[in-house]
Amino acid sequence: MSRRFFALTVATLVLGLSGWIAAVHGQSGEYKIGVLEPLTGPLAFEGKRHLEGYEVMRDLINERGGVMGKKLVFAVGDATDPTAAASEAARLISRENVKIITGTYSSTLCGAASEAASRQNVIYWETSCVDPRFNKRGLKNVFRTEIDGTGFGWYNVEFIAKHLSHRFNMRPNQLKVAFLSEDSSYGQGVTEAARARAKQEFGMQEVAAEYYAFASTNDFTPIIVKFKQLNPDIVHHIARGNDAVLFWRQSREQNFGFKALVHAGATGYGSPDFGKALAADGNGPFVLAEPGPGFKVEGLKADAQKLERDFTDAVKKRTGTEPYASHRLAGPGLWLLKLVLDQAKTDDLDPFRSAVMSMDLPVGSMINGWGVKFAENGQNANERVQHYMLQWQNGQMVTVWPEEFTTMRAKWIPLGAWDQRK
Amino acid sequence: MDPARRLGPAQIDVVAQLGVSTLLLGGIYALIAVGLTLIFGIMRVVNFAHGEFLMLGMYLAFWSFTLWGLDPYFVLFVAIPIFFVVGLLTYVLVMKGVIHASHNVQIFTTVGLSTALQNVALVLWTGDFRFVRPWHSSVVLRIGSTAFNLSQVVAFIIAVALTVALFAFMRWTHTGRVMRATAQDRDAATLMGIDTDRIYRLTFALGIAAVGTAGVLVSPLYSVYPTAGLQFVLLSYVVVVLGGLGDMVGALIGSLIVAAVEVIGSYIFGTAWKEVFYFVLFILVLVFRPAGLFGQRGAENLGV
Repeated sequence: MSRRFFALTVATLVLGLSGWIAAVHGQSGEYKIGVLEPLTGPLAFEGKRHLEGYEVMRDLINERGGVMGKKLVFAVGDATDPTAAASEAARLISRENVKIITGTYSSTLCGAASEAASRQNVIYWETSCVDPRFNKRGLKNVFRTEIDGTGFGWYNVEFIAKHLSHRFNMRPNQLKVAFLSEDSSYGQGVTEAARARAKQEFGMQEVAAEYYAFASTNDFTPIIVKFKQLNPDIVHHIARGNDAVLFWRQSREQNFGFKALVHAGATGYGSPDFGKALAADGNGPFVLAEPGPGFKVEGLKADAQKLERDFTDAVKKRTGTEPYASHRLAGPGLWLLKLVLDQAKTDDLDPFRSAVMSMDLPVGSMINGWGVKFAENGQNANERVQHYMLQWQNGQMVTVWPEEFTTMRAKWIPLGAWDQRK
Repeated sequence: MDPARRLGPAQIDVVAQLGVSTLLLGGIYALIAVGLTLIFGIMRVVNFAHGEFLMLGMYLAFWSFTLWGLDPYFVLFVAIPIFFVVGLLTYVLVMKGVIHASHNVQIFTTVGLSTALQNVALVLWTGDFRFVRPWHSSVVLRIGSTAFNLSQVVAFIIAVALTVALFAFMRWTHTGRVMRATAQDRDAATLMGIDTDRIYRLTFALGIAAVGTAGVLVSPLYSVYPTAGLQFVLLSYVVVVLGGLGDMVGALIGSLIVAAVEVIGSYIFGTAWKEVFYFVLFILVLVFRPAGLFGQRGAENLGV
């Protein structure tokens, strides 16, 4: 009896000790970063997807050895609005002792969050906001993997001029464009960049430029009635939420016939909710975003292809659907952070910064097709951040441009009558 | 070239369409504002959680449609008793305790209730935008060159009917008279043997039933999400102030005025200006006619 007790005690001790050793040498090698996302409030639905993208990629990173040889873990903060973003950033820094913060999905949040991080000299790694002011503040600790909003406007006009105009049998300078946008810094940044390029480079005719507050616009008919009289070929509409659904539905009601509608970003027309709301009635709008169905993975570099497949599978397993734009912004953004950390071997700002600046990867290196070349202001070069035009076709947003990157093709050019888009 | 300055048949079409849009949008605003003006007028309580009951009505329509395929117009009949009970419960559990407290306490309480309800919805149903798509939501009626959305026409008709019914109830029934008496002088009403607590309970329940119904009716038109109420609630305060506190017909006319300012302002000057216009109107009314455009002087202090 006593021998058995003794054996049991020894066994328990050995087990406990080996567990303790494992804890010291294995799991205690964790590296924690702060993740800020809007998880409650009006931006929560996309903020949660963005966080999902991070979590899926974090697990893939940990399967591949973690960061700097340590297991990557998150301390998550809820950035409902700019005030909460700043205070949560401060909390992550002071309570969770993180040296790097990443996030924040929205252009309304990244300014405040990065400002708070830079006050404490913490690295701020943005993967999705596109506010053009973000990298114009001379902050040395702030980096952005995603394009800036002016790049969105640039790509949209590129698509209109190079892909749409000749299919309408028109020259770019014959096109009449109506610009409509929600009035946040995101909407304004994209729209102003598009207006400038459309006018200066291609001589397109701007027939209207309207801004509205997306949270309190309950009726678009006055704008639609006005636009109908101006008879634009293209409606360049940056929408934010259900304003996309409302504008599209009411345009149909008013029988407003334009040749194409172009949007940019993961909100509004770029949100999966647009398809859920309208199904086949939502056929036609173009969305500049991360690649979706139709995307040729073979266009990527070899190691990115493998990671892309694993990422897509993991997202599908977790959510039951193809990765959305928010997933495809967060995932590769986090992967790039891993590459930088592995190269710098530290999170001290100066060596980290030189590691970022020394990165030089061609287009197709990241799983969403991005390349990497950062400028001194902490911005990944717009021409390396390859973007894609997607189109709503029967409830699905499919990749249609550039054509060399996709198996799908744009339809309804120009858009026919409202009931003829099946 | 300003499209508003062109003349001719096209211009007549534009005016007609803007008129129709004003009526239909005004109908939606009226639907939301009558419940608010009722609670405001009788109880003297500014219910900041009003928009959240609208949101709950929208979710009721959404789940009934998604789970059981019930048309919102059918759900309407169920919504009235459900929200009446919700109103009763809210009164007993929350409002009863603060009804005699200062306005500040009441404001803090209803703002707290508003935030709590938004977050309950967020926890239970996530922040996703949801949509109710019954067959009639995409039916468009065309008369001449003007277009009417069927769901919006129905919402407008019900808004008018609801306003008239509440007006008649307040004017010609015994309970309505008792409610007005309570609004005019709570103490005197108590001395006359009126159970003011019962009247407040009834008023609150009626107001919530009205806004819950409104939520069901607007669900085919707008996305359903936890903060959907905020999209409309600020406007309802403008409407209620314009129309005079507690004045049902005033609320209807106030809604049409706000909708007209919004539609015409958006058309002529651009959407960015619409809130400037109706809040300037709001301030002017508060300064020069604090009882509302149609109320009697002094009614803002006394009651209906």
